[in-house]
Amino acid sequence: MDRVLSNFIRALRNAEVRVSTAETLDAFNAVELVGYRDRAFLKDVLSLVLPKTADEKDTYADCFDNFFAFQELRGAEGKRGDAESGDDEGEAGDGEGEGNEASEATEGRGGGKGKGKSKSKRKAAEEPEEDLGPGDMAEATSALGKLLMAGAKSELAMEMSKAGTAVNVQEIQVFTQKGLYTRRVMEAMGLADLQQEINGLRQHRDVPHRRLGQELTRRREWLREQVRDYVEQQFLLHADATGRRLREELLRKVKLSNIEHRNFRLIQEVVFRMAKKLVALHSRRKKVFKRGALNVQRTLRHNMAYDGSIFDLHWKSVKIDRPKVFAICDVSGSVANYARFMLMFLYSLEEVMPKVRSFAFSSDLAEVTELFERNKLEDAIAKVLRDYSGGSTDYGQAFVDFKKTCLDEVDNRTTIIILGDARNNYGEPRTEILKEMYDRCKRLIWLNPESRSTWNVGDAEMRRYSAYCHQTEECNSLMHLERIVGNLLRTVT
Amino acid sequence: MPDIAEIAASVDSLKRNFETHRYICSNQIATAVYLAFHLRKPVLIEGPPGVGKTELAKTTAEMFDLPLIRLQCYEGLDEAKALYEWKYGKQLLYTQVLKETLDEVLQGAKGFRESVSRLHEFGDIFFSEEFLEPRPLLKALREEGGCVLLLDEVDKSDHEFESLLLEILSDFQVSIPEIGTVKATREPPLVFLTSNNTREISDALKRRCLHLYIPFPDIDLEQRIIHARVPEIPPELRKQLVTFIHELRELDLKKVPAISETIDWARTLLLLHADRLDPELVRDTLNVILKFQEDIVNVDSEITTLTSKATKN
Repeated sequence: MDRVLSNFIRALRNAEVRVSTAETLDAFNAVELVGYRDRAFLKDVLSLVLPKTADEKDTYADCFDNFFAFQELRGAEGKRGDAESGDDEGEAGDGEGEGNEASEATEGRGGGKGKGKSKSKRKAAEEPEEDLGPGDMAEATSALGKLLMAGAKSELAMEMSKAGTAVNVQEIQVFTQKGLYTRRVMEAMGLADLQQEINGLRQHRDVPHRRLGQELTRRREWLREQVRDYVEQQFLLHADATGRRLREELLRKVKLSNIEHRNFRLIQEVVFRMAKKLVALHSRRKKVFKRGALNVQRTLRHNMAYDGSIFDLHWKSVKIDRPKVFAICDVSGSVANYARFMLMFLYSLEEVMPKVRSFAFSSDLAEVTELFERNKLEDAIAKVLRDYSGGSTDYGQAFVDFKKTCLDEVDNRTTIIILGDARNNYGEPRTEILKEMYDRCKRLIWLNPESRSTWNVGDAEMRRYSAYCHQTEECNSLMHLERIVGNLLRTVT
Repeated sequence: MPDIAEIAASVDSLKRNFETHRYICSNQIATAVYLAFHLRKPVLIEGPPGVGKTELAKTTAEMFDLPLIRLQCYEGLDEAKALYEWKYGKQLLYTQVLKETLDEVLQGAKGFRESVSRLHEFGDIFFSEEFLEPRPLLKALREEGGCVLLLDEVDKSDHEFESLLLEILSDFQVSIPEIGTVKATREPPLVFLTSNNTREISDALKRRCLHLYIPFPDIDLEQRIIHARVPEIPPELRKQLVTFIHELRELDLKKVPAISETIDWARTLLLLHADRLDPELVRDTLNVILKFQEDIVNVDSEITTLTSKATKN
């Protein structure tokens, strides 16, 4: 049964729930304490031990339902397998009637138990069963046929996993491959021989042989279902995440404007994870900067050894000045998508950069910080794009507005990030305001989503603006963003 | 003295006992306490403010009749305030006093070597239990019959403090350089940590804890909570006000009302002798459940609709 739990944990890991070894041990302890009897209880218990955030809990709930529902199904399947002839005969009632009532009854009971309680299910599976009743059936000859007729479940299961390894079932990546792998596993288990035998038997003159043929066909179908379940489980265990990781890797590199809407959720997760990494990196760096008021108690204590002469000073640790970031985003059609991700990134960094103020413009500029305080990130971004993205781009006007609203608040600790393509529709660039901003702030960074070669083509004013930037960067993928924000944190903290 | 083992024997009995202490909890919550008790693991409780995170720890202490040791976390909290501190004033005073009697102590020892060896005989009295001022964490470890330790709003503390907690949470012990390792008594404390998620708790800490997320309760559960907390309120009104609160939570608010607000509101309405909700009453008492003026303004226009929805059935 421990196998089941560790498989479940693997499935969880695949579903992006981080489960450490320590937590795995906890889970085992917990399960030892509560047992597997009560499904809902078990779910509650494991949900306390394994997932560690609210989001992970949702994933966990889905995963639990999927995984253990499947186990149940398998139990039911097993039951049908055990009592197979009974069930099938009963419903078909086609008078084949080789009645092994005795075994039907016992197996039925065994199976029933197995359904309620996954633990006994395995046991039921291991029990040898199915004596063939009155023996007017021929002996199977192929290896697989023998196993099937002997109903040797554990041997079959072993064969199955052996075959699975042989065909590399763990490399399954997308769900469309399930059918393919099912067939491959069947073949590796000796389907061809079995098929041949069945064909031979079906055309055999003797009744017992034909009967065996029918029986084998039925059992082959049952086996097929077992194999399908097995592949399904392997898929759950291995594939989901690999496919996903692949996609995420791609998303990091793809141009942000090309990202499709359905990937937004995924990309947001990527952004959060990247941001988390940066947070972890930079919150640790803070220590070096800690200096502040004298910690009298501690200083006295540590200097007692020196007869009260105070020369080993201890400081109260104080919060360091966190960077003040002003993000000015062009949200007109051409750049909107980039703005979306940059805002997403900046606000995900709240922990190390709590003072982000953001402004959006296409022609007129307005502060949107409050929107982000009030709404969830996605909603806020959607609202910004809805409210401000109309109108043709006018950088000059935007700068004028910025000067009016908050140039006074820009001080020598402020970093200004401007995101835009600098395509001003041949309007007045108003570089003098940018210069003013440049003079006042600590750093002015211009992120341009276009590639460097086109920065000065057409109505782009990049050449004139870049004179008043500390740094200009091309920025059109998450990787760029991560690098820039990482550098930003390094320089501003 | 309640029998702790008996109470904690099953989730159901925990639930029942919580209810007798007027804390209505879901299965999930009772399971968390059950596991915490049997596996001896700390519980990290997360959830929106006002859903009863702190209350859970308090009620548990009350239920098991154990002392509750509470440590409110805040930025800048350090080991001197959380773990232990030397009574440096006392230490200083004693050194001053001893200075004058130094001769006696040394008993006329000749030479430096002799003096030092005399002094050594005294051991490290200055850094012994006598001079140790235990703070909440150390107190909890030394509590004889076990206790409930509540680390409230652990997300408000710094990363350094989190690291400090690691040793305590996993092994129920702390190392004090001058004395050695202090281990928990036979009964290690039952630890609850609460967090409002103002920042991510580090993975290392999470790994050592059971993680309980308490969401807002559904209508039925919340009604039962109100019934337990404000039993005098008529059932009809109780149903209406809980429905109303649930409608409110659907709205786009700066701060949605939590259970504690529902309870406050129920008490308020009881005080006003109301027996059913009507828009006027709601308008007058809205400041009990909404804590921001702009929320109140926003909701104001919808009061009539919301009230009629709540009173409909």
